[in-house]
Amino acid sequence: MDATPAVRLDGVSKQFADSYAVHRLDLDIEAGHFYSLLGPSGCGKTTTLRMIGGFSDPTEGSVLLAGEDVTGLPPNRRNVNTVFQSYALFDHLSIADNVGFGLKRRGVARAEIRQRVGEMLELVQLAGFADRRPRTLSGGQRQRVALARALVNRPAVLLLDEPLAALDLKLRRQMQVELKQIQREVGITFVFVTHDQDEALTMSDRIAVMNEGRIEQCGTPEDIYEHPATRFVASFMGTSNLMTGTYRDGEVALEKGPALPVGTRSDIADGSAVSVSVRPEKIWLSDFEPGMSMLSGVIRETVYSGPTTTYLIELAPGLTLSVLEQNTARARMEDRWSGGETVEFGWRPEHCLVLA
Amino acid sequence: MTLVRMPSATAPASPTSRTRARRARAHRRPRVLIAVTGLFFALLYLPIAVVALFSFNSQKSLTVFDGFSLRWYRAFVHDDVLIASLGTSLRISLVAMAGSVILGVALALGLVRCRTRLGSLAGLVMLVPLITPEIVTGVASMLLFKGLGVPLSTATVMLAEITFSISYVTVILRSRVAALNPEVEEAAMDLGATRWQAVRLVTLPALLPAVLASAVLIFALVFDDFVLAYFTTGVDPQPLSVRIYSAIRFGVQPTINAVGTLMLAGSIALIALALFIPRLFGRRGGLDILSGK
Amino acid sequence: MALLRPSSRTRRRDANGTRIWTWLMLPGTLWMTGFLIASLVLVAVLAVGTTDELGNPRFGFDLAGIRALADPAYTEVLARSLGYALLTCVICLLIAYPVAYTIALYGGRYKHALIAAIVVPFFANYLVRMYGWSVVLSDDGPVLSALRAIGLADAGTRILNSGFGVVAGLVYGFVVFMIIPLYAALERLDVSLIEAGRDLYGGPVRTFFFVTLPATRQGAAAGLVLVFLPAMGDFVSAQLMGGPDQIMIGNLIQDKFFQGQNWPLGSALTMLLMLVLLVGMLGYLRRTRKDEAEALR
Repeated sequence: MDATPAVRLDGVSKQFADSYAVHRLDLDIEAGHFYSLLGPSGCGKTTTLRMIGGFSDPTEGSVLLAGEDVTGLPPNRRNVNTVFQSYALFDHLSIADNVGFGLKRRGVARAEIRQRVGEMLELVQLAGFADRRPRTLSGGQRQRVALARALVNRPAVLLLDEPLAALDLKLRRQMQVELKQIQREVGITFVFVTHDQDEALTMSDRIAVMNEGRIEQCGTPEDIYEHPATRFVASFMGTSNLMTGTYRDGEVALEKGPALPVGTRSDIADGSAVSVSVRPEKIWLSDFEPGMSMLSGVIRETVYSGPTTTYLIELAPGLTLSVLEQNTARARMEDRWSGGETVEFGWRPEHCLVLA
Repeated sequence: MTLVRMPSATAPASPTSRTRARRARAHRRPRVLIAVTGLFFALLYLPIAVVALFSFNSQKSLTVFDGFSLRWYRAFVHDDVLIASLGTSLRISLVAMAGSVILGVALALGLVRCRTRLGSLAGLVMLVPLITPEIVTGVASMLLFKGLGVPLSTATVMLAEITFSISYVTVILRSRVAALNPEVEEAAMDLGATRWQAVRLVTLPALLPAVLASAVLIFALVFDDFVLAYFTTGVDPQPLSVRIYSAIRFGVQPTINAVGTLMLAGSIALIALALFIPRLFGRRGGLDILSGK
Repeated sequence: MALLRPSSRTRRRDANGTRIWTWLMLPGTLWMTGFLIASLVLVAVLAVGTTDELGNPRFGFDLAGIRALADPAYTEVLARSLGYALLTCVICLLIAYPVAYTIALYGGRYKHALIAAIVVPFFANYLVRMYGWSVVLSDDGPVLSALRAIGLADAGTRILNSGFGVVAGLVYGFVVFMIIPLYAALERLDVSLIEAGRDLYGGPVRTFFFVTLPATRQGAAAGLVLVFLPAMGDFVSAQLMGGPDQIMIGNLIQDKFFQGQNWPLGSALTMLLMLVLLVGMLGYLRRTRKDEAEALR
């Protein structure tokens, strides 16, 4: 990658009293990407965003925007704009004045302001609302105003702090699609903070999963989901069957169950404690292929939820795996099981991940 | 044995009808309480009504209403001393209002946002006038002016009233500032405003209703105040409230009924306005202005 | 390389312009410190000062003013002031509680209007209100006439020029400061709590003592302080309603500064008044601290 990243964090830390909200973070965000910072609350993702925006200064390290060190510069002197979680609209100004606020600050001519505000309201489908007050709009509409108010300044980077969190589920789904479309249309780098893994997976080009002030893993949504690098990522992204055990000679001896073949790993020393992760949907209950890791267990519970059924299979006392089966048209009646039955199941070796 | 008492199956009344009965009992109007409240309101308004009524009395009596007349109002309008005092009071109120609102709003903003030790110290200083009775403030102010060799005059009243009113403005505004979403100011800075521009363009407009309400309230309070004015005023011209004090101490002068009625009407109108202002801006109005909550 | 970078600490001092808050705070704080705090210190200094032959105050160190406070004439006034102020507090509580309770629980959609109808006239001119009150309570005013008509008073009964008159004046003057915090506490009180109380304790009286009263204790405590402060320092009520035999500490202070021209003694009295109020405030603060600590537990 030879292009200068739109955002680079270089060893950035933020210390509050004696705890680190963010600890020695290194991060490159490529221009034009929809980049998500994903993590549970308190993981430091919002603090990271605020340091990029200039609302909070790092105690260590530097923030670079398009290769230029902006550490310590106030927000008004950075070419980034923010969509706040609370939208932070100016209640005493009309929608048009809200959207035009940034342009007016920068001394753009009035005629041009009017034109660009009009275009932007068009983009977010609020063309008829220019003279309304923020208070009279619905949550979704206010969210669009906040987006328009930031985008109209054509920032190099747009920061979004959980912008969809206040919306109800249906509206949130709709806005996810819309936001992604708008991002493609304007081509601006989006840095999107969220705690919702579905949201991050569906919208992002890249995701950084954060935990306790550090980045656990960066990558494409597929990377992160299919190849979680750490136990935390595996459990935070979707559901995983996580089993602890000891690695030795290409096998993991589970604490509470049999030994699983996992392939030889040169990076893991014999005898080290590891976790093994298998996603429920990667476990097969029929039509096995040669070369699969095969096990058997007793079905303890079946949970039918429409398109899928989840089976809880007891592999050994105290070790239960969950297995997800699609209820597709091709699924056969005889491939349905009920509690108490002993079944065989298996997975492809590559779907069994060893996490140090 | 269960800890939760279950309704027994033999209980004749169904649970719903029982709740309804209880509700009705809880909402039944207690006559004694309402009578006490009614009596309270009567006694609250009686003195005001008496002053207003006898201001229209054609005779000097305060007990026998002889007939409707505007003679005491006419006497007031033609009383040059009282009219001069009215002018003085208005000037004092205006200056004190302007001064204390400017200082108090700035102080409220600073107190809420400044998290340093200096900030908490300033918060303590701000509380002093609120827990000091007026007579102490009055004595202290008078001694300060005398000690500095400043002759007591209208100007000294203004200074003392500003000092006393800053805390009121700050208390009213502080909760409003604290209730503001700090992200709004950050949004302004994000859009190119400096911190000061953000305060001017976003924070102050958001506070405008509370600022106006506190200004009106301070105007009324200063206009009505007499203890502080009494201790810090010079001989001539004295504020209206000090004149009224002298007048009611030294016997009944029906003109005072007229002046008092006008003052009561004026301040009731102003305070009602202060309560009403937030509603003009579409906010939930009111009484919290007075209690600072 | 890192060593060659300019020290970022100095550069970052005030990127967000947070020093503006200190600057905004400064004028008001300096003003109040200059006028109020300085003047209160001056009162303390003058309390141990002297006077010259013409009666003008002089700085110095003389405990005459302080010692004079022990004079029975003054201790009697102080005791009376304390008694009247405390009595006023109690009466205000007894009046304000039913009124606030009725409005908060039975006011319905008029409750804001009703509270406004109490608050607005109370913040209107204090002097004129007290003057009107003295007319109402006068010997041939409406209250005594009504009492005489129903036989509760005889021809000799008087309210003015008695301790009762002074307390009546103080109550009329400051009862609103009891109503506001009580109303606020009662309005916050969940009606379902009272209903739950009815369920658990049964009778309305027991419910009141076990549920309602504890829930509004802090409001009542705040009200007591808010009434006690101005009542203790008041001198108008004693003047208009009490006459020369019923003077309070406020009247003494006023007298020492305007008629007696004994400023050191006046200052000493002022300090004494502040001391009493400070003790009251501290007691209140300790109580609320304890309440808060208990609430957290």
